Amino acid sequence: MSFLNSYIYYIGAFGLILIGLYIILVKHNLIKVIVGLGILDTGVNLFLISVGYITKGTAPIFSRSGIDSEHMVDPVPQALVLTAIVIGVAVLALALSLAIRLYQHYGTLNLRKIREQKW
Amino acid sequence: MPVLLIAVPLGLAFAVPLFALFWKPAAKYIPPVALAFNLIVSLLLLPKVLENPVIVSIGGLRPPFGINLVAGPVGVLFSAIIALVGLLVSVYALDYIHPVRYSHRIDTKLSNWVGLSNGVKEGPTEKYHMLYLLLLTGATGVVLTGDIFNLFVFFEVLCISSYALVAYLREKSGIESAVKYLIQGAVGSSLLLIGVGLLYGLFGTLNMADIAQNIKSVSPISVFVPMVLIVTGLGVEAAIFPLNAWLPDAHSSAPSSISAILSGIAIEVGLYAVVRVIFTIFGASSIFLFLALLGILTLLVGEMCAFSQNNIKRMLAYSSIGQIGLILFALAIATSYGVTGGLFQLVSHTLSKALLFLAAGYMIYQTGSLQISALEGMGKKMPLTCLAFTIGAFSLVGLPPFIGFPSKFLIVRAALATKETYFSVLIGLALLGTVIEGAYFFRVVQVLYFKTGKTNPEGKDAPIVVLIPMFIFVALIVVVGVYPKLVTDVLNSAASELLNRLDYIRSVLG
Repeated sequence: MSFLNSYIYYIGAFGLILIGLYIILVKHNLIKVIVGLGILDTGVNLFLISVGYITKGTAPIFSRSGIDSEHMVDPVPQALVLTAIVIGVAVLALALSLAIRLYQHYGTLNLRKIREQKW
Repeated sequence: MPVLLIAVPLGLAFAVPLFALFWKPAAKYIPPVALAFNLIVSLLLLPKVLENPVIVSIGGLRPPFGINLVAGPVGVLFSAIIALVGLLVSVYALDYIHPVRYSHRIDTKLSNWVGLSNGVKEGPTEKYHMLYLLLLTGATGVVLTGDIFNLFVFFEVLCISSYALVAYLREKSGIESAVKYLIQGAVGSSLLLIGVGLLYGLFGTLNMADIAQNIKSVSPISVFVPMVLIVTGLGVEAAIFPLNAWLPDAHSSAPSSISAILSGIAIEVGLYAVVRVIFTIFGASSIFLFLALLGILTLLVGEMCAFSQNNIKRMLAYSSIGQIGLILFALAIATSYGVTGGLFQLVSHTLSKALLFLAAGYMIYQTGSLQISALEGMGKKMPLTCLAFTIGAFSLVGLPPFIGFPSKFLIVRAALATKETYFSVLIGLALLGTVIEGAYFFRVVQVLYFKTGKTNPEGKDAPIVVLIPMFIFVALIVVVGVYPKLVTDVLNSAASELLNRLDYIRSVLG
């Protein structure tokens, strides 16, 4: 149980990452693939946050009294995740707008049927 | 100073739509101005950084805290090349990309002829110029940054703007390849980010020099996983062999000016990031042989696929894969000669391939077809454009008066100088790749000059705005090819920056 307790965030994060990769690799529908990308992004962000997390930690605000630095979470991963979320949103928005265009051209979102370019 | 290299183009990129509100044509004149500024600043910095790398700590926090920029010989060499190629291509785009109105019906009919549409359909071109500047800002940021998460951010700036630019013409093939590129690129960047997260977990720092200093303090196995993730993630953009399925589609369906930038700059920057991570951060000398093998594999696969293409832009795109393989092989030799040769080949590929895409783009525009056979007899109708194409092709193959010759010669010499049997075998395979390369480029040149055209009554030479950048490329290719001493000093100190990771660590951390 102690293993689960201390690694639960990592297990969850890598679970999400693997689910996302599975969806991207297996699904035929472009929208589902984009959803997979979203899940993958969420997993990565959760992983980054859990790198800097300590159990029962609080926000690293020095002006508040009664908190010593031992109980503060690492703020750097949170800054990273903020950036990563913004990047993820940009990629997803671009992917969805491309999906709209793709549907206009082909009348389908099935990636197995859209095969004009090949080796 | 190095901050300006990133800040000025970034600021001007977002200013493009604002300027365009007041005066429409302003949009297309901003990229040349920004890139000319970058080129001048890089060239001014170059002599300074050859002596000592310039370290900029943003916000006044000394490294390892805060984000820092490291303008060493490698970074400034790359930023100068990016600015030079970007400047010339943006001058080319002054004429190539302009708003043309034509009906949707014609658009779908011509949709297989990528690049025929001279620029963009109805609608403003500000977005093109904005994304173009953002792409080059991202590339400059990647080569100058000294912080691994910042590298990821600039990498994403580069990638996202290149996804959008591949789809810029909005026709079938462009959208399809952009979707493929986006999915593969996004998975690659996620892997990169996981790797960065693992490194932060191990070392508690994001500064590349600081990680490099402490890399020996943890067990090799726990470093191996982030290294594999980061190299795989960056390898997608660098188009190393098993990860390059997106490249021929994306490079052949983008507008030709963008193909030139993607082939000439984007994949080189990806390769730079791979090399920086392996050489400087991990110092992983044990995987160099594996990288050399991958390089040769990439080279052979790329050249063989290029040989069987009928579509000229796809042929050039596969040839880029081959060249990336050769550069990776040369860098993986990891001797002073080898790395110098690899960087030299990188410069020569950037110049030659950008020239080839620009010339091919205009020929495609004139003939309205991407097939090589449609170019028959163009040598008489567009003599100057065809001359530029021929010089680019000869330089890429490695014929003597051009820049491709000294760079390939240096690689062969470096491989033989190692006195290892496997490098001799591998360089033999690389030369086989060069022979294949020669075969398909000479085929195109033969079609250009020695076949009489049947069906092309049209065809006149490119306008002067397009010819000027092409002939500046030609001049650079010939001058550096005849007199390679011009660049070898810079390349030598860049190579020693990559090889001596301890010097890098010392110069950053002080």
